[in-house]
Amino acid sequence: MEDKPSDLVQGTLDMFILKTLALEPMHGYGIAVRLEQMSKGVFRLNAGSLFVAFQRLQRAGLISSEWKATENSRRAKYCVLTDQGRKRLNSETQEWGRQVAAIARILEAS
Amino acid sequence: MSLLRSIAGGLRSLFRKEQVSQELGEELNDFFELAAEEKMKEGMSRKDALRAVRLERGSLEVSKEIVRSAGWEFFVETLWQDLRFAVRMLRKSPGFTTVAILTLALGIGANAAIFSMVNALVLRPLPVHAPNEVASLASQPHGLGSSNGFSYPDFEDIRDQATTVFRDMTGMQPSHMDGFSMNGQSQPIWTSYVTTNFFQVMDLQPALGTFFGPSDGGIDGSEPVLVLSYSFWKNHMGGDPNIVGRSASINGCPVTIIGVAPEGFRGIYSILDTQGYLPVGMATATLDSPKDFLTNRSVENIEILGRLKPGMNVGQAQPVLAVVGRQLSEQYPEIHKWDWLQAFPGGPLNANPQDTAVIESMAAFFLLLVGLVLVLACMNAANLLLVRAAARQPEMAVRAAFGAGRGRLARQLLTESLLLAALGCVGGIVVGVAASRSVNSINFASAIPLVFDVTFDWRVLAYAVGAALLTGVLVGMTPAVRAARRDLNPLLHESSRTSTGDRQRARSVLVVAELSGSLMLLIIAGLFVRSLRSVERSDLGFDPDHVLNLTISPTDAGYDEAQASQFLKQVLQRARALPAVESASLAATIPMGHYNYGEELKIEGYETSPGQQRPLAGYNAVSREYFRTMRIPLIRGRDFFDSDDRTSQYVAVVNEEMARRYWPNQDPIGRHFTTGKDSTHPIQVIGVVKNSRTQHLTGSFRPYFYRPLTQSYVTPVTLQLRTALPAATAFHQAVDLIHSLAPAMPVFDVQTMTQALNTLNGLLLYQVGAALTASLGTLGLLLGLVGVYGVVSYAAAQRTHEIGIRMALGAARSSVLKMILRQGLIVTAAGVLVGALLAGAIGHLARDLLAGVSPMDPLTYVCASGLLAAVSLLACYIPARRAMRVDPMVALRYE
Repeated sequence: MEDKPSDLVQGTLDMFILKTLALEPMHGYGIAVRLEQMSKGVFRLNAGSLFVAFQRLQRAGLISSEWKATENSRRAKYCVLTDQGRKRLNSETQEWGRQVAAIARILEAS
Repeated sequence: MSLLRSIAGGLRSLFRKEQVSQELGEELNDFFELAAEEKMKEGMSRKDALRAVRLERGSLEVSKEIVRSAGWEFFVETLWQDLRFAVRMLRKSPGFTTVAILTLALGIGANAAIFSMVNALVLRPLPVHAPNEVASLASQPHGLGSSNGFSYPDFEDIRDQATTVFRDMTGMQPSHMDGFSMNGQSQPIWTSYVTTNFFQVMDLQPALGTFFGPSDGGIDGSEPVLVLSYSFWKNHMGGDPNIVGRSASINGCPVTIIGVAPEGFRGIYSILDTQGYLPVGMATATLDSPKDFLTNRSVENIEILGRLKPGMNVGQAQPVLAVVGRQLSEQYPEIHKWDWLQAFPGGPLNANPQDTAVIESMAAFFLLLVGLVLVLACMNAANLLLVRAAARQPEMAVRAAFGAGRGRLARQLLTESLLLAALGCVGGIVVGVAASRSVNSINFASAIPLVFDVTFDWRVLAYAVGAALLTGVLVGMTPAVRAARRDLNPLLHESSRTSTGDRQRARSVLVVAELSGSLMLLIIAGLFVRSLRSVERSDLGFDPDHVLNLTISPTDAGYDEAQASQFLKQVLQRARALPAVESASLAATIPMGHYNYGEELKIEGYETSPGQQRPLAGYNAVSREYFRTMRIPLIRGRDFFDSDDRTSQYVAVVNEEMARRYWPNQDPIGRHFTTGKDSTHPIQVIGVVKNSRTQHLTGSFRPYFYRPLTQSYVTPVTLQLRTALPAATAFHQAVDLIHSLAPAMPVFDVQTMTQALNTLNGLLLYQVGAALTASLGTLGLLLGLVGVYGVVSYAAAQRTHEIGIRMALGAARSSVLKMILRQGLIVTAAGVLVGALLAGAIGHLARDLLAGVSPMDPLTYVCASGLLAAVSLLACYIPARRAMRVDPMVALRYE
């Protein structure tokens, strides 16, 4: 596990989770797999960090959860993005874009 | 919203622990199962797949722990654990716990008690609405002390010219005692004569009836009305609901009771309970205020209180008042030469910067002393905790080895010390309440309703809790930091008995500090006790032994001067005929009493240069035989005769100081002077008596003269008897005698002359000072004793092994004893030295509070040092003896 989430920029894990859930409700393992796929294996999360983030997001009202059957008909807890979470994702994405652009300008300035 | 959700989520996992944990377990389990299924699809066996997942994603139990410890509720949970553990640890060593809690309780309690006094005297605001808007005025007449007395016309001018910052102002005569009669019963009442807007300015609502209207209490004696205080109405009128509209009389003048002030309003003087309020205009009718005081600018008997406009502060008022003061000084240059006119926050007592400064410095001094007691208590508790921390090192090491973080260990220790402090705080509040109860019950030996209302309000509680918190953190900090910093590994290997010299030194420093603090408290206590003794033994100039006082107020019984004179003459005649009464006399004031009369004089042949203060002298109106009763030696001339009355030449007896100052190198007998009040009757000096104490027990004597009561009638008067009879018997006889002549005559302040000296002017402050410092000194000594004993006995116990070896190798018991005692001696000597130096510094601050003893009084220093050294060595000797008795075999075999 060379790339632990603690190496992520602070707060980005929450954003990733929200982004993953923007498409459809997912269960914990699904989110982990999707994140790995999207990052091409760069971010490999361990269960502890992931579930701490779930708890945090849930308490902040950004996601909610419900028990559903999985594709191979197992019962699992699915995370669902709330309206508030969607709003937050939009604003965070914009903010991120602004910051990246600003950082790029600074680094490229000579 | 999200905060609420967070709290709800946290609470759920706190109180639904099982369920939440199970849910989380299921979720995590799903996660791992799904991950394993993925791997199994790639062809792994289930067992290998699960193992791979565990390696990649962490184990289920660890993940569960991580999630659990992320929420805020985890902190609460561990705190609860820590607390439970702390309680268990404290219960396991009841001796340590008791000593530590008692130590802290005494320290915190003493602080709470002293602070509650300071609170009552200095901090507590006026009991009115928005007290921070109320300010009192004072002026600084050029060349004299500042004064809060103004004339009524001044009051009106200032009120009308300062309306930009003050919403309104009220004026009042300084409160004093009147006689209140109702239904033939008379009693003293402490009253304030106030302008009719007083209650509006104070923003108070009557509990019953109404307050004054603008036309109440005319100067001509019309509309005489009275407002009673709530406590007087409750305690003296039985809370009569029909009191409003009833008739009564004040000093013989009929008044109508129109209302009762709200509960809890004791007037505007911090320690005086004002019992009644009258319109200021009535002061001429019921008192001897000059008839023209409402218009005469030189009668300065009005105190001024202003209510600032909302949002204004005292600082904003100063420039406005400065202008008003300058204008008045320019307008009336022959009356006012004010350097400044200023407002002071709070009641009129605050408008006396010199007095306030004295009270504040006294308060600060005692807070400093009692703060020191708390520091001593803290050091003691810290010491005990350090000793215990040393004993608990193996436990800490084991806990660390099982994975407790250093922060967690420190937190555990801090929790323990805070718990100790909290228990100490509870004990301290109990001690404090008990201590302030005993202060409340101080007998002020007076009919004046003094209320030293030392109650625990939120300020005192906040102070006590703050002190406890600080104590807990300070005391717990050292061991906690040590625990957090320590490399625990070697400890697990090392024997637990070898103590490091470093800690030993730290404890020695603590003990030296404690001893020096104790000594300082002891020396201060010694100085105050010596000061009290010196004041008690000082030459009063009169002999208070076997003199009994009974104050009677003929005016309150409705007697006019002629009737009163007749009555008093009879009282004297009959009293002198009582068995075993050596002499009987009357006096308007008694030494150290609450009344003091002073007069500006015009003395024949004594010219004052312009700008110089006119001669001033205190005076007393007395009857024949006064000097004999008080045993004040008459040096020259004669005593008064019964025949000295209004029809004969006005006469006076002066004291030596007055004779020396105003008739230097001349014979004062036969000379004349007049008083400011009555310039038409020259008074002839007929005798000179020795100086005696009248108003203060210390300082230089001031000019003083005595006039016959028959020429200068004052009421109430005190009947004084010199008798060999036991006080109780004589009082009984005297009261019977008075009531046989006038059944309704109020008799109060019935006490021996010795008791009467214990007033605020007299011995009371010295007594309170000595009692306070003596209790603090005792406390300090006790704490010092516990500290030394604790440390020396611990050190001795730690050296048991070493002592065993020494003795096995042939050391004599006496040399072991010497070895242990030497350590104690060094520490004691250092403590005494540092303590004496500190006391020198602090005693200097107490200079003004001491009388007849220097703050560097060598006797006090020597005695206190000797006492402390003796106690400290005794505290060393007991553990040293125990060490001496060590059986070498036992000591060596142990471990």
